[in-house]
Amino acid sequence: MDVAIQILVTGLTVGGMYALSAIGLSLVWGALGMLNMAHGVLLTLGGYVAFAAVTYAGAPWPVAVVATMGAGALMGFFIYHGVARVLLRNPEFDTVVIIATVGLATALEHIVLLVFGGQPYGQPVSFQGSLSIRTINVPAQNLAVMVASFLFMMIVAALLSKTRTGRAIRATAQNRELARILGVPVERVYAQVLAISGVLASISGLLLSGITMLSPTLGDDPMLKAFIMCVVAGFGSVPGAAIAAFALALVEQTVAFALGARWGFPLLLLLVIITLILRPQGVLGRVRAIRL
Amino acid sequence: MTRRGFLATASATGMGATLLASLNDAMARADIRAPVPFGSALPLSGFAAADGIEFRHGLELAVEHVNAAGGVLGRPLQLHIEDTKEMGADVVTQAMQRLVDRYKVSAIINGYNVGTNMVEMDVAADNHILFIHYNTLISHNNKVKSDTHKYYGCFQGDPPEYWYGPGVLLFLRTLSESGQWKALNNKVAIVTSANEYSVVIANAIRAKAADYGFVVSLFETVPYPNNQWGPTLAKLRKDPPAAITVTHYLPQDLAQFMLQFRPNPTQSLIYMQYGPSLPAFRQIGKEAVNGVIYSTVIGELPDEFAAPFDKAYKAKYGANSAPLIGSQTYDGVWHWALAAALAGGAPEPGDERQQRLVAEKLLRLIYRGVNGSCRYIPGEQSAYCYPDQVRDPSLGMPHQFRQHQDYTAEPQLIAPSLYATAKFVQPPWVKL
Repeated sequence: MDVAIQILVTGLTVGGMYALSAIGLSLVWGALGMLNMAHGVLLTLGGYVAFAAVTYAGAPWPVAVVATMGAGALMGFFIYHGVARVLLRNPEFDTVVIIATVGLATALEHIVLLVFGGQPYGQPVSFQGSLSIRTINVPAQNLAVMVASFLFMMIVAALLSKTRTGRAIRATAQNRELARILGVPVERVYAQVLAISGVLASISGLLLSGITMLSPTLGDDPMLKAFIMCVVAGFGSVPGAAIAAFALALVEQTVAFALGARWGFPLLLLLVIITLILRPQGVLGRVRAIRL
Repeated sequence: MTRRGFLATASATGMGATLLASLNDAMARADIRAPVPFGSALPLSGFAAADGIEFRHGLELAVEHVNAAGGVLGRPLQLHIEDTKEMGADVVTQAMQRLVDRYKVSAIINGYNVGTNMVEMDVAADNHILFIHYNTLISHNNKVKSDTHKYYGCFQGDPPEYWYGPGVLLFLRTLSESGQWKALNNKVAIVTSANEYSVVIANAIRAKAADYGFVVSLFETVPYPNNQWGPTLAKLRKDPPAAITVTHYLPQDLAQFMLQFRPNPTQSLIYMQYGPSLPAFRQIGKEAVNGVIYSTVIGELPDEFAAPFDKAYKAKYGANSAPLIGSQTYDGVWHWALAAALAGGAPEPGDERQQRLVAEKLLRLIYRGVNGSCRYIPGEQSAYCYPDQVRDPSLGMPHQFRQHQDYTAEPQLIAPSLYATAKFVQPPWVKL
């Protein structure tokens, strides 16, 4: 029984980490048809902004969290105005934006390295304590990651389905020109989506760095995992990315216990390959993807 | 810094500085000598940047000190650095070749680069340059053994990772036999991750466990990186061993291991590889890391000999810098500079005859640096390890065992006893 609980807890924690990374990436793809390869470095920046606010400015943690969200939103705006908007008229937008954001990610990662150095740091803004379930102990930070991933999923779903902004985003995603004719400020929608994605990424980076640590390459591994989850779910499906994250993480951790830890991730990748052979558009992806 | 001022104050360089200054005096000439270019291919960006930057600091400080002592026979050292980013064989070999082609370096002194399969040695051999590195790999020894004539100029400034295996077993047995530790049983669990360094150490522990009276109860390979230890801990709790040896080395992952282990611990001693030497391990794990033991086959010793180096390093690079890492390349530069001076000078690339002379002097010259004694094994050209390999501490680099006894302070050196600054303390979770 304890072993089963242990696997469940670990699976949910890992799933939460995968989901946190994947939601923002999936949102931008769904709304803009843009694979933002700088998403990982936005996680990194989020972690470092909170660290700097507390360590260098002596800010209390709520201020640090707000500063992190603000920085994430600003970076989202910057990515739109500095990169995406310039490339939107390019007929090969889908491809060139990938290259451009890879370059941006490399530049930002090196800026972090120059400013903070390569020495890893612990994240000062983190939850302390733990919850005991029988003989199993769940650190509070892990619980925070799980809860945050559920919350973000619901917030994004509510934003898209219940709000005026969400309707504008969906309209723009379905047909940019028609949305413009109907009075939707398309350019503002683009900027809003990237800003929202930036906020999600920065908070994710703050939470993940509490489990891992702060280093200039903090976002690299979550970016890889987020990409995998989005591919399995079908790019653009925000709930799908979160569901895929939890399902695959539970399989991974069960295999890790039953067959040995070394087999967990390879088997996860095998499942991804099988999924893509059977459903190239992803489990919850639409057969014909909508592009802006 | 002036030469006189340096000699008056820097006892860290001790005999090396005096010897080098004497050699330089003997060779003093009126004309200004051209600098001796040497290079380093370091991971200054990418995931190993933290260590790469410290290696650079060690090189810079060594250049400052060696030049203050007169350089190599009056010729000042001139350092050139290439970034190896995420490392790998292609990037590192290209970086090293650029150092040769652009700057005509006489020697290359690296920290470590991973994923190279020791192909750096071929660049050094093909260009007849002297090469010192701290990759800490047994594959270096094997490659030199395969062709000692070709790889005459390739040296590994520390013992290979293999010695972590027999070393930790010897440490555990000594601890048990001396009555300092009451072992739960004779079982040892090995947790490793999928990279050459961790796997070689884990295999060495498994291969030698029986020789030291231990039985391996678990051999688990985890992904790299890995911060969720639930399945592994479940296995450890099902069959608790006397000691858990974790050869995975990322500090954040090891801190997470302790955070997840401590609420429901087994009565096991915990030994970990490398990661606990970094401040991030303590920052993340806090109280949970108290009691953890780790070891290093190279690192600045906390003794009076290394104290001036430590002080100069922190004064120059800040209190949060890591002289434990920078000390490696610092000693490497000194050892090479002395050997080059003894050989009559550092040659340009391609001057095989003179380079062989420098290599011969380096092989024969035992150097007591801030990391302990470096004496190269003939035919393998990596440093001897004390006490795992040699019994005389003046002939081997100490395999240092350190324990986190208070996470708010630096870990304590608890073995070898000759160098120890504190005694082993029973981990707080062990109640035997």
